Amino acid sequence: MEMETNLSEEGGVSRVYEIGYLIVPTVAEDSLDKVVGEIRSSIEKAGGSFIAEGAPSLMRLAYDMTAREGDKNVDYDRGYFGWLKFEASPESAIALEESLRTNASVLRHIVFRTVREDTRAKIKAPTLREVKTPRTTLAAPRREEEVSAPVSEVDLDKALEDLTTE
Amino acid sequence: MANILTQNDIQHVDYKDIDLLKQFVNPHGRVMSRKRTALTAKQQRAVEAAVKRARFMGLLPFIQK
Repeated sequence: MEMETNLSEEGGVSRVYEIGYLIVPTVAEDSLDKVVGEIRSSIEKAGGSFIAEGAPSLMRLAYDMTAREGDKNVDYDRGYFGWLKFEASPESAIALEESLRTNASVLRHIVFRTVREDTRAKIKAPTLREVKTPRTTLAAPRREEEVSAPVSEVDLDKALEDLTTE
Repeated sequence: MANILTQNDIQHVDYKDIDLLKQFVNPHGRVMSRKRTALTAKQQRAVEAAVKRARFMGLLPFIQK
């Protein structure tokens, strides 16, 4: 994958980064904006420009994560996952990582270099699955639907009796 | 199994696409071998990196019993 590196007007390099973060579930839904705002402002302060963003949403974690809160460990099985894509200098990316690390409401974060284009696959999962068509169903001719006339109870009983007596 | 990425014309593998990544991990959560995924070396590396990022962020399990 070709990573983008552009020279900005000041002569410094500018690269495309993406950050993913997990916010602890104890944060109230309406104060999420505040936490995200903190992250955004630390990027803006460093002179970064946003490319794309995914709003944090509460999700179940694939495994429990332990966080140190005060002097005890707390296990979380869910968190608000959100992401941000932006362009900034390598120095500001390091500074951002530091600010995320010290942010107590960020359970976990990831920063990595990426490309400007949208990297998410356009195709939904079900269409990705290979459809296996067994040969037999294709080869076998469709059986013509049998026309079944309504059978009376008496006829049915009689037919059953014939079968059982044999 | 045919190469899913080439078939669907997917250029980038994103760690957030867990439905896509789940196609490349076995029921235990391990990344499938290239023999099974039929990906190119480059694609396989991209999938590996994405799976590892997804695991770290709790989107995919490290192991599943």
